[in-house]
Amino acid sequence: MTAKGVLMEPTEVPAIAAKLSGERLISVVVPVVERADDLVALHREFGSELAARGEQFEFLFVFDGGFEPSPALLALSHEASDVHLLRFAQRFGETAALRLGIERSRGEIILTLPAYLQVRPEGVGLLLDAVDGGADMAVANRSPRVDSWLNRMQSRAFHRMLGGLSEHRFHDMACGARAMPRRVAEALPLYGDMHRFIPAIALREGLQVQEVPVPQHPNDMRVRVYGPGVYFRRLLDIATFFFLAKFTEKPLRFFGLVGSTFLGVGGVLSLVLLVERLGGTPIANRPLLLLGVLLIALGVQLIGLGLVGEIIVHLRAPHRRAYRVRERI
Amino acid sequence: MTVPGTPSAPPATPELSVVAPLFNESQNVRPLVEWIVQALESERRPYEIILVDDGSRDDTWAQVAQAAAADQRVRGLRLGRNVGQTAAMMAGFDHARGQVVVSLDGDLQNDPRDIPALIAKLDEGYDLVCGWRQQRKDKLLLRKIPSWVANRLIRRLTGVPITDNGCSLKAYRRTLLNRVSLYAEQHRFIPALSASVGARIAEMPVRHHARRFGESKYGISRTVKVLVDLLTLKMITTFRSRPLVGFITASLLPLGAALVFTILWLVALTQFGPVKSTALVFPGIAALWLATALYLFMLGLVAEVALRSEQEGARATPTAWEVG
Repeated sequence: MTAKGVLMEPTEVPAIAAKLSGERLISVVVPVVERADDLVALHREFGSELAARGEQFEFLFVFDGGFEPSPALLALSHEASDVHLLRFAQRFGETAALRLGIERSRGEIILTLPAYLQVRPEGVGLLLDAVDGGADMAVANRSPRVDSWLNRMQSRAFHRMLGGLSEHRFHDMACGARAMPRRVAEALPLYGDMHRFIPAIALREGLQVQEVPVPQHPNDMRVRVYGPGVYFRRLLDIATFFFLAKFTEKPLRFFGLVGSTFLGVGGVLSLVLLVERLGGTPIANRPLLLLGVLLIALGVQLIGLGLVGEIIVHLRAPHRRAYRVRERI
Repeated sequence: MTVPGTPSAPPATPELSVVAPLFNESQNVRPLVEWIVQALESERRPYEIILVDDGSRDDTWAQVAQAAAADQRVRGLRLGRNVGQTAAMMAGFDHARGQVVVSLDGDLQNDPRDIPALIAKLDEGYDLVCGWRQQRKDKLLLRKIPSWVANRLIRRLTGVPITDNGCSLKAYRRTLLNRVSLYAEQHRFIPALSASVGARIAEMPVRHHARRFGESKYGISRTVKVLVDLLTLKMITTFRSRPLVGFITASLLPLGAALVFTILWLVALTQFGPVKSTALVFPGIAALWLATALYLFMLGLVAEVALRSEQEGARATPTAWEVG
């Protein structure tokens, strides 16, 4: 799988979702990047739930740099053939871990789970049912959510900010439990820190994303306190996502807007000074003159930058399509 | 370019494809198909009608499915989400099998009865025949005046003598569509983009009707966007194969400004003596302009690098025909 940018290749989506065959394999991808609970317990709980549903499954634990599999998990992977452990030598983050897990998995259905008990194992069945029902991606929405009011407020603000970007508003994008057919997982443009926005990205790609209410795991019900750095990074993520969603096809719309604003303000300032000069006032000692010229120069540069962006987009155009065909008759 | 999943050929491969993007046009689907079928009654070539449902929120898709079930020549394409007219048209073009492709609006404002005339014109030896809504039935202030201004601007900037760029009713030769990739909101620049790859373009008057069902999906807010897009279009069509030239041309202005301020500075130095504060401000401004010129030059180099790394763009030759 390669990260191709926000727009996708013109791939075809079969009209009918994968049929329940009984022989399909479900790949559970677990990126171990931040918090990790007892992964053996996680394997036991979710594995038995999947087994109870009569599914074939494999577990892929992807350890980011700095995380080690526990001896118990290592022992488990030796005795159970359906447990695979992958490890990054350095810290690459959750998105890269997900990508590696998807690349190395073999299942027809990819199920991603966080490395701690976030949702109750029963929830997995609900997600798989949604995918069997035809959804391109099923994402969990922990509900009823037991959380401190502080966390709930944060989460609401986060989703509201993102909701303004698409026609649909998600409620729990931070939840790592998602199920999707392999073709969807492979087509997702996963890069940078975009794992947080997977449902929103999928929606922008023209995929049918379904939010499924899933019971929250008791272990997950606790107050989380973040440092200011986390908020700052989250805001940057949103800004990046916003930019990519709005302007990937039309960079000049963004750079041109900012650039022409600068150009306009700089132009007005210079004009005012010019009028004053013609009126007889010396302007050479006015800092405003430098500001005016600086703004004009900056505006020109920004527009130039936008044009380069446009050239790049134009050159890529023959290889990309902004649409995704959902159904064809 | 091949599109994966192109369907296997039915009994008669259509030679003519009619593409209509639809967005919330549920009431218009059935009359649209009827009109097209009527208009093409005397057409001897096998044809197909491709209805592209651009993520409608009403039951447009159900209507399309019905139409497709009733008539073998009707094919439906449902997009994952609303992607806009240009991308929806591209979807239709990508799936069209005919050597001649006709596009028209799904809102019945274009008249399918004009299609045979457009095709006849195309057969005279053109690659693109554009419809020209001589008697446009739209709101004056919101639609006609902005469109008139935009068309004049496009004509002036690109030099392509097309009066009505915004009309969706157009006929294309397949070979042209293979060369032009539309994205973003470029459908109104189709004539200009086609001309830039060497297409032979004609224009002919077509009928235009007032909207019967549904609402217009356009507003005045797009005017600013069109202006920005025009700048892009100019850049792309003129300097596609040599962006450095474009950026150097653009840098001449700041370079000139830098020169003027340098001269002013020298004059100030020699005439007024070094204490005068102009001796500081003028070289400052000159340096700023010089830096801008240099920056634009560097940007041009970046654009060249992008061009070279994209072989397709670097190698594209304009379309040409054997004469005589």
